[in-house]
Amino acid sequence: MSTIASENPPEGFARPFRLGVRAEVWIPSVLLIGALGYPLFLILTSAFNVGDPEQFPAREYGFDNFVKLAGHLDWLWNTLIVAGGGTALGISIGVSLAWIIHRTTMPGRRWFDLLIAIPYPLGPLVGALAWSQLGAPRDGLINRAFTAVTGIQAPLIDIYTPLGIIFTEAVFEAPVAVLIIGAAMQRMDPALEECSTIFGSGKLRTAWKVTLPLMMPAILSAALFMFTSMIGSFAIPTILGTSSRFYVSTNAMYVLLQGYPPNYPLAAALGLVLIVITGVAVWLVQRVLRGRSYAVISGKNYRPRQVDMGWLTWVLLAYATIYVMLSLVLPMGTLLLASFQSSNAIGFDFASWTLRNYKYVMFDFPTTRQAIVNSLILGVGTGTLGVTFATLIAIATHRSKNGGGQMLEQLTMLPQAFPRLIFAVGFLWMILALPINLYGTLLAVLLAYVIVFLPLAYRGMSGVVVQIDKALEEAARVSGASPMRVLRTVILPLLRPGLIATWALLFMVSVREISASLFLSGTNTQVLGPAIFSFWDSGGMPRVSALAVVQALIILVALTVVRITADRGARV
Amino acid sequence: MLALVPSEQTGSAIDKPNLAYIEVRDLTVAYGDKVVVRNVSFSVGRNEHLSLLGPSGCGKSTTLRCIAGLETPIGGEIIIDGITVFSADRRINVPTEKRNLSMVFQSYAIWPHMTVFENVAYGLRTQRVAEPEVKKRVSNVLRMVGMEDLIDRPATDLSGGQQQRVALARAYASRPKAILLDEPLSNLDARLRVHMREEIKHLQHQFHLSTIYVTHDQEEAMAISDRIIVMREGSIEQTGRPLDIYDRPRSRFVADFIGAANIIAGLPQGASAAGGPVIRLGDVLIECAPGSKLVSPDTAGNHLIAVRTVYPEIVRDSVNRPNQWPAKIVRRVLLGDIVSYTVAWAGGELRLHTFPNRLFEEGENVQLHIPAERAIPVAAE
Repeated sequence: MSTIASENPPEGFARPFRLGVRAEVWIPSVLLIGALGYPLFLILTSAFNVGDPEQFPAREYGFDNFVKLAGHLDWLWNTLIVAGGGTALGISIGVSLAWIIHRTTMPGRRWFDLLIAIPYPLGPLVGALAWSQLGAPRDGLINRAFTAVTGIQAPLIDIYTPLGIIFTEAVFEAPVAVLIIGAAMQRMDPALEECSTIFGSGKLRTAWKVTLPLMMPAILSAALFMFTSMIGSFAIPTILGTSSRFYVSTNAMYVLLQGYPPNYPLAAALGLVLIVITGVAVWLVQRVLRGRSYAVISGKNYRPRQVDMGWLTWVLLAYATIYVMLSLVLPMGTLLLASFQSSNAIGFDFASWTLRNYKYVMFDFPTTRQAIVNSLILGVGTGTLGVTFATLIAIATHRSKNGGGQMLEQLTMLPQAFPRLIFAVGFLWMILALPINLYGTLLAVLLAYVIVFLPLAYRGMSGVVVQIDKALEEAARVSGASPMRVLRTVILPLLRPGLIATWALLFMVSVREISASLFLSGTNTQVLGPAIFSFWDSGGMPRVSALAVVQALIILVALTVVRITADRGARV
Repeated sequence: MLALVPSEQTGSAIDKPNLAYIEVRDLTVAYGDKVVVRNVSFSVGRNEHLSLLGPSGCGKSTTLRCIAGLETPIGGEIIIDGITVFSADRRINVPTEKRNLSMVFQSYAIWPHMTVFENVAYGLRTQRVAEPEVKKRVSNVLRMVGMEDLIDRPATDLSGGQQQRVALARAYASRPKAILLDEPLSNLDARLRVHMREEIKHLQHQFHLSTIYVTHDQEEAMAISDRIIVMREGSIEQTGRPLDIYDRPRSRFVADFIGAANIIAGLPQGASAAGGPVIRLGDVLIECAPGSKLVSPDTAGNHLIAVRTVYPEIVRDSVNRPNQWPAKIVRRVLLGDIVSYTVAWAGGELRLHTFPNRLFEEGENVQLHIPAERAIPVAAE
């Protein structure tokens, strides 16, 4: 019997020893460095550009733009106030809700767990539109109700204020904090708290001395996530702040870029400062977290110890209910109500209600009709591409922890530190500089989405990939299965629940996205977020509301699909 | 190419003359700059049960994974059933799935998304065995491991011991050329471990297949194998039948690692009447096994001998014979089936194990006897 042909060495022979870093690590690394580095480079050079403002990369450099920026410190100051205040309020809401859902015996916890998750995928644009109709000082629904009940003419609330912006940001970002902190709570060994009680500490002392420090890493990462996302938040400050001339960095950037002539260098300088701010925030959090071992929080899921709060349970129930009202029921109700009107004023006369607005945005008006279709295409595309890349990267980083895997992981998570609006501007300039003409195509928007949502996708997939023991795959190979068969019969089925959940998450965030697509979607490639925004800009609340409701419905359907598959996955 | 080379190691050690079925030559494995297996050569006969035994990090699992094709060595050759599956010089590396082997993993590696049946049938289905035949063979092998009733259960419902049985059934069902077992019992509790050991032995008798069994548990290796290879820091320390390795450890390392042994250090002092070397330790002269030779001493020039804890005798009556000295019981520990004593004698302290049928009291003066054939010279390093 002869050997397998020796003149034909099989692929992959001794490969790791020749290159040092594996191909599955360096190929995505190089791609990511290019896709992130070049836009960043263009922003950097443009920020120091003192010559032709439309020259990319710039030719003449100087500090003029930063000197000009010094005259607009209020933009940065307002940004920090909104992001800082929003994060503080959002974290307070997040910690308290996570604790109520996971650690108390409040009735209906499971329902609240579901309901609280919804406002995040609905997104800040929907939230801002709804709250502008709820909390406007004169004709906002809440103030109208207040005047009707009390007879007082002065408004109860004014959403068009810094405080209103902070409130709206916090309410719509809080679900992320509930998710991150809640997950950490479920992974904490209750024995750690029981031990503290045995040593004679009361409930409060245990919470203060044991639970809170253990939760700190999760709380800090949630805070960082919120802070960076609020620094780059566009929809809420623009919709709620523009009428009172309250400018944060993002809507200031928008004005600079949309003005005539557009002031690219100043916008780039502003963007660069924001990147530095988020970079410092990331660095600070990593510094604080370094040395804090996660070992006490194991990978295992425990049933956390649940505290019976006695009569306070009803206070907690009221608190959770108020949150769901403010974040979900009132905003969605308002949008629905507004979408049935035939004029901007919301009326309660059923006879005058109409479905015309839906007919208009879904069928009659080509721009919005196309936007709906484009957004669906983008959602499917981003989900599919994002999940594929994230899975490949997660497998590569997991398999080569030392061979550059950690560097790849950091690179993958890097887009999270860039405000999406700013990255999109850099990405746009890169596309204009490329020899192939991608500007104004859906592909450009798709690529930008895949990059900015890669951290989200990677987070979802790496958690799943880590759980798959390498031996499961090796066992199949030893049983005679080819690599393709291993993929089909072992790896993909094991990844399936994670793939579906991550895919749906990417679908939802792409459908609701506005910051990344605002500048990238051309007139012929409208997508939902920017379409809703420009509709709002040109007035016509009923139609805007109808379009926002359509967007919300698409997202809710996706959310339901995830929920159903997750439940089915849990049962098997 | 034919590789049916008679192996020196197997040829003489095993009862019947045997041909190498799996042959490993000069295997060298490195992770980056770190060499974890260095020039390891051995062979496994057809139907032979071989164990690779050693502490963690000695390279035994890596060697096994190279045979399976799950790791790529940087040097050497591996030949299975006459086919070169790996050769660094000739740049041959047959992928795992074409090597026709089976493997049992430490973590069992039972696929959680399949039923018991699907797990066991996996290898047969990749071999495109006809479905009725698959059914027959799966239920046969499941019956052998006592898992027939759970055939349609999802794999996630199984206990550790049951998963282990499914892993074994899966390995044997596809009738591979050889079965590789990578610490298969180390995740089980002590009682179940002994039980599963018997089951593996039973399966070995049912299916005549070569097995290579990697373990750090000397008891398992002794119980299961025809031959044991003791590995240390990436190299082979000693090869032999279980009892040979137990009775005639080559080095201090093997004596310590397998069973429990006392190591006595002394200077050479000629030969005994029976023809064994003698070492001196203070005033004490210890005769070693007749026919043995003192081997490499330690840095201080002392030669070492190993005395298994089960072989020294303690008696109350004084008999004048070589290697017998007065001693005193320092400590007695009842371990159930055996009794462990620490005795003080002119050579220091010695540990020994006896049965509980005759007990000595702590502080009692006794006579200690080390049978000369049980004092084995061992290499210091």
